[in-house]
Amino acid sequence: MVPTSRQRQLAALRGLTVASLKMYFRNRSAMFFSLFFPIMFIVIFGLLFQNTTSSFKIDITNRSNTELSKQFESALKKIPAFKVKSVSEEQAAKDLNKNDTDLAVTIPPEFGQIRDGRPAPTAVIARYNEARPQNGQAAGQIIQQLAGRFNDQITGAPQIVTVEAKGVKTKNLSYIDFLLPGMVALSIMQLGIFSVAFGFISYKTTGMLRRLQATPIHPGNFLAAQGMTRLVMAVVQTILLAGIGVWFFGFHLSPASWLPFLVLALIGSAVFMAIGFAIAGWAKNEDQAAPVAQIIQFPMMFLSGTFFPRDSFPPTLQYITDYLPLTYLADALRHVANDGASLWVIRDDLLGLIVWGIISSYAAIRLFRWE
Amino acid sequence: MAKQPILKVTDIRKQYDDGFEAVKGISFAVAKGEVFGILGPNGAGKTTTLEMIEGLRSITSGSVELDGLNVQKRPREVKERIGIQLQSSAFFPTLNLIELLGLFNALYAQHTDPMTLLREVDLEDKAKSTAKELSGGQRQRFSIATTLVNKPVAIFLDEPTTGLDPQARRNLWGLIRQIQHKGTTVILTTHYMEEAQVLCDRVAIMDEGQIIALDTPDHLIQALLNRGFKPHTKVQAATLEDVFIDLTGKELRD
Repeated sequence: MVPTSRQRQLAALRGLTVASLKMYFRNRSAMFFSLFFPIMFIVIFGLLFQNTTSSFKIDITNRSNTELSKQFESALKKIPAFKVKSVSEEQAAKDLNKNDTDLAVTIPPEFGQIRDGRPAPTAVIARYNEARPQNGQAAGQIIQQLAGRFNDQITGAPQIVTVEAKGVKTKNLSYIDFLLPGMVALSIMQLGIFSVAFGFISYKTTGMLRRLQATPIHPGNFLAAQGMTRLVMAVVQTILLAGIGVWFFGFHLSPASWLPFLVLALIGSAVFMAIGFAIAGWAKNEDQAAPVAQIIQFPMMFLSGTFFPRDSFPPTLQYITDYLPLTYLADALRHVANDGASLWVIRDDLLGLIVWGIISSYAAIRLFRWE
Repeated sequence: MAKQPILKVTDIRKQYDDGFEAVKGISFAVAKGEVFGILGPNGAGKTTTLEMIEGLRSITSGSVELDGLNVQKRPREVKERIGIQLQSSAFFPTLNLIELLGLFNALYAQHTDPMTLLREVDLEDKAKSTAKELSGGQRQRFSIATTLVNKPVAIFLDEPTTGLDPQARRNLWGLIRQIQHKGTTVILTTHYMEEAQVLCDRVAIMDEGQIIALDTPDHLIQALLNRGFKPHTKVQAATLEDVFIDLTGKELRD
């Protein structure tokens, strides 16, 4: 039976996709950048930040020698989320400067002293480093609660001092829950922009594209095969990264959230591939593509809240970075993982991604040239 | 020509965007089963002519008919019927020869056995190598193998022997003749006259975008002698290449 033209093209598409996947998996540098590199990142950051977010480092300087101050000090030390060191005031100041502690607590000499039969009102001073306000403030809140319990105790209410960290942290999320969706988004961006742009340009410069042009394959099928390869890679990459996060570093991704998480990865991958194709279609060689690819992806790497939250940016910068494609993707992935959001809940981010996808596809079509 | 033409080129021109006219109206026909050579110095327009015929480059004016199909109107169908070897043969890295031929099978929706093809071009023992690991001559043979995947009526070879040593060149001549014996028409470009004389049934000599002579090699030589041509040097019964081949042997060195 003679295959129809449509069957022929489908067979060609399948053949090219299989070949392109084989090449991808055998290409060491592509594997390094799309799989090994992000995994390494997750492992390193996962190990580095495994404990720090759930525990605060507290320096305590007790300048009082009353019974109450000792009780307060030991109560602080009993809080599971705290790692408390008793140090001199000078040492505490140094630690703060060096970021070796989140909070420096000073118990003043008059703490717990009895005046007129009642303890004198005193303030415990808690100082934190303004460069890292989150941990300091969080720890400060716990201490305030503790102080509240103490006040109750002093005023007569019989209460054993127990303060739990739970009240302060809104959710039991750690840095990995922030970092991992960001890393997934970043890897998807790099897979899209770099692997598409440079993979495609090497086809151009080596003449392979021309050799394919000499066969009856439709150019669209060639592009489709390239795209399919990257989509498969995006799924593999996302599953690996999220899997490692879940199994080894306590990344929170409920079973029900895996599907929207992967769907998002696919959509994001398609958007960044369109950007990659726009660059590759326009550029004549690697030298033209490299700076453009860098200019597009480098700022996003740092401005889209992949490694650290954008909360600390000045408002104008926050406003601008709201509209970056990587911001949409990272925020959406984070939302799905951290809050179990459905695709409908994150529709605004999806819309943003789709708009970027349309703009980039249009650019890719307009800028394309075979040679 | 007694046989029906497989390729009919009628007054084709190529003018580039910058105004340069690379091909200035050439016409010729190639019969089924012929080995047809397009000769000429670098820049004569050989490759442009070939690429216009293959449907890889647009034709400014004129027409090309291949196996009864108009190349401009039905380029894809023409490409299904022909095999094309480009001057620079790049292949996907990290795929071995079997996988590459499998890919070409897919591209042409064919199921030609890769090992059979490799046997035809004497590369069976390189089946698991990548194209990069091949020598120049082997790569050209492999490149020709990729043109045979779709059992083409005609194959186009653009300077197939450029850069090869005399042994590899002779080996490739053998392969081209073998392909011709199976009934495939071969259209090739070269700037080696000896090659054209040995291989081609007819040759077209191009210069500055025009065909300045078209006939069998023997007729062209006879016509020159008839015009009273005397070679500058004494005619020797052998050439330096004969000496080279005699001394180094005919076996391939790759």
